Amino acid sequence: MRTLYRQPLVWFLCISGALFLADAYSPKSNDAIVVTPAVRERISLLWETQMGSVPSASELDSLITAWIEEEALYREALRLGLEREDSIIRRRLVQKLNFIAESDPITEPEEASLLEFYELHLSDYSLPERLTFRQLYFRKEESAIAALDAIQSGIDASTLGESTMLNRNYAYRSALDINSNFGMDFASQLDTEHLKLWQGPIKSSFGYHLIFISALEPEQTTPFVAARDKVISDYQLASKTLARQRYVETLLQNTEIRIE
Amino acid sequence: MKRSITATSRFPSIVRLLTASVALSTLLSACSEQDTPEQQAMVTPEPMEMTSTQSMPTANPDRNAYFGDLHVHTMYSFDAFIFGTTSSPDDAYEFAKGGTIVHPAGFDMKLDRPLDFYAVTDHAFYIGVLREMANPDSEISKHEIAEGMTTLGDAADRGRKFYEIFDFMQTDRAPEINDPEIRKSAWEDIKAAANRHYDPGNFTTFLAYEYTTSDRDQGNLHRNVIFRGDTAPELPFSRIDSQNPEDLWKWMDSNREQGFESLAVPHNSNGSNGSMFALVDWAGNPLDSAYSEQRMRNEPLVEITQVKGTSDTHPALSPNDEWSEFEIMKLRIASRLPSQPDGSYVRQALMNGVALQDQKGFNPFKFGVIGSSDTHNATYAGDEDNYWSKVGLRDSDGVLRGSVPLDEPRENGEAYADTYFNQWGAAGLAGVWAEENTRESIYDSFRRKETFGTSGPRMKVRFFAGYDLPELDDPALVSKAYAGGVTMGSDLLAESGESPEFIAWVARDALSAPLQRVQIIKGWVDDGQAQEEVIDIACSGGATVNPATNRCPDNGAKVNLSDCSISSNVGEPELMAKWRDPNFDPSQNAFYYVRALENPTCRWSTWDAIRAGVEPRPDMATTLQERVWSSPIWITPTN
Repeated sequence: MRTLYRQPLVWFLCISGALFLADAYSPKSNDAIVVTPAVRERISLLWETQMGSVPSASELDSLITAWIEEEALYREALRLGLEREDSIIRRRLVQKLNFIAESDPITEPEEASLLEFYELHLSDYSLPERLTFRQLYFRKEESAIAALDAIQSGIDASTLGESTMLNRNYAYRSALDINSNFGMDFASQLDTEHLKLWQGPIKSSFGYHLIFISALEPEQTTPFVAARDKVISDYQLASKTLARQRYVETLLQNTEIRIE
Repeated sequence: MKRSITATSRFPSIVRLLTASVALSTLLSACSEQDTPEQQAMVTPEPMEMTSTQSMPTANPDRNAYFGDLHVHTMYSFDAFIFGTTSSPDDAYEFAKGGTIVHPAGFDMKLDRPLDFYAVTDHAFYIGVLREMANPDSEISKHEIAEGMTTLGDAADRGRKFYEIFDFMQTDRAPEINDPEIRKSAWEDIKAAANRHYDPGNFTTFLAYEYTTSDRDQGNLHRNVIFRGDTAPELPFSRIDSQNPEDLWKWMDSNREQGFESLAVPHNSNGSNGSMFALVDWAGNPLDSAYSEQRMRNEPLVEITQVKGTSDTHPALSPNDEWSEFEIMKLRIASRLPSQPDGSYVRQALMNGVALQDQKGFNPFKFGVIGSSDTHNATYAGDEDNYWSKVGLRDSDGVLRGSVPLDEPRENGEAYADTYFNQWGAAGLAGVWAEENTRESIYDSFRRKETFGTSGPRMKVRFFAGYDLPELDDPALVSKAYAGGVTMGSDLLAESGESPEFIAWVARDALSAPLQRVQIIKGWVDDGQAQEEVIDIACSGGATVNPATNRCPDNGAKVNLSDCSISSNVGEPELMAKWRDPNFDPSQNAFYYVRALENPTCRWSTWDAIRAGVEPRPDMATTLQERVWSSPIWITPTN
């Protein structure tokens, strides 16, 4: 008997047996389904969102009963491992984790970081060549020619032109935008070499136009101050993507990957 | 090769990992140090006056016309996915801004110019579910109804599967596949895409979806729900929640109390078999003022035209309207059952509305109009000369949509495919008058009903009524008309005595055909009876309206059916008129709206035939007159 006392295996068996018995007969407080005030409130709120009114006492009772049953089934499903190999659950969990990984603790990015981001992605903040111009509309070509003569003899251009739903002034319009308003091939007829002169008549889908180009913006990069809102949203999107990439990288660093 | 990933170490804590993302700005600083001096020089800030114009044009108090499509299905719609559409909401928004989407049949779809606003409106029920069924790893792909989803083949196969799934959805086993987690995930992606692509001042998006319900006899009661803000409830309200549209309005009312403002736009009333504008409620009781208030609070607009037909009016309802036979689709939606015209068309509903106003003091049909496409290709309908129709691989060419004969006749001798896609059209667009291209400004124009619908071209229509309107040649016409009268979507209080003045002003689309005529459509109540009249008020070529017939003379515009060329020098770039109603009675309830017609052009089916080198199908219209409809102005009578 004395030798048995000294056997570590016997000690191990005794202690583990005692622990097993203690565990088996103790109340399983950790596993209990507990309807906390928070759970109750969430169930009630969900009902309210869906049905538009606060649940009555009896409705809440039956909702809670349903929740308890669902929770019990949910736990049993987890115990049986039913969540494994289910691609919907799998995708949903990954989506949730991505969401967590992407949530950037910095809500208001610093100005310096934004400027740096902007400079790094200048090509995303460029605009096509755009024209700023005035236009006078005439139904007939000869009226447009007469008006051009009148302007050249000193008549104020703003007193000329016929009624139209087209604007008299267009600011910062690309060729696509101009063609969309005046008809295909309109923009290509414009003389953009000589600015601040009345030119025409130029034919459109509507008739004839005299055009005064006051400014031509070459294809250019939008200044930071003007692009700032877009920079912020792009920066936040990039931050999310980067945060997610780093998260995944770190995960993979701590994971052994075997390809068999 | 099989790939397996085995976790061998402890799972790292999320919190610890997140600290890695904080290092982002440090990383960016490091990279930007490599910038060249040239790049630095390019970003020298310019004067603020100019830059503010570049980022956001100033608001126009006279309002600008903006064009958009508020009815677009992507891969998340159960049917679109079956039809072969794998384009996402992100792809759809990129398309609207000028990008390209490849049709599942292999050709490119691209707009000739971007749209100003756009909303993806996937079907709420089973949103994202069919796409998941086609994923062979998913649990739902093992459901018996999913059989064949991963191997969908030709148009006939897809058509069969569509009806099989559609029928299954009507059974009590449907909940088995309507997984809320899949739906939440799809809806979250749709909302995020709309917010991502919103570019205030340049391009407006809306959080939106389609509530796809019907009555007990497959009468179509579909609505698109459009949210004003950048958030929306966790799941959209669908026909599974309730088939009764009145429950949708309750849900919208309760959302509104929680800060989610939205409106619903009914569509395809033409396929409702009389139920969209029925004079009874869901339970079969006569309409009352509570119903009317709730409907108008939630549904200020209707879709008057789209690919599945135009719902302005029907020849049987408007026998004296020579232009009523326009893109008429005769069936209930997704069926071959006929749809009865009575109760299915917008003009009749507007008339019944003023009759109810007259008799009972409320008007449940006091709506403005828009057009949209209802594309299921995540794009748009396309134009007549570049038509994409709307159901993916089922109607992607002339043979499939019945405009070009089959290689060999069918067994019964018929030369054309047995399909109803031949009743569809290349339409439509929503137009609004808004101060600026932002969600707030455009949504508010929906609420004001300062909207118009077109059958595709970007025609613009201004419409004013009042007792103090400016002359037509006044350079400040628009601002003075706003100040001295009311515009489309509004009420005008009748003054005793003579008719108010109406100003209608229409401009052509620079990339479509010239205008032929502008018309006023009037509906009114006389001795309790609703009446309608179509009156031409402006004619092309300087012609005058014949006062006996209220018609312009024929302007002689022709279409050459061998190449679709049209008469040059016939038709107008713009038409405008000031008009008084000679039959105006200040004691009558009435409404007036504008319809303007282009010169005739080739219909999509004729383009299909020309390209295929065959004669146009004899029982289909070869040409059409594209058109724009304004929202009405209603007259409130004096007592």
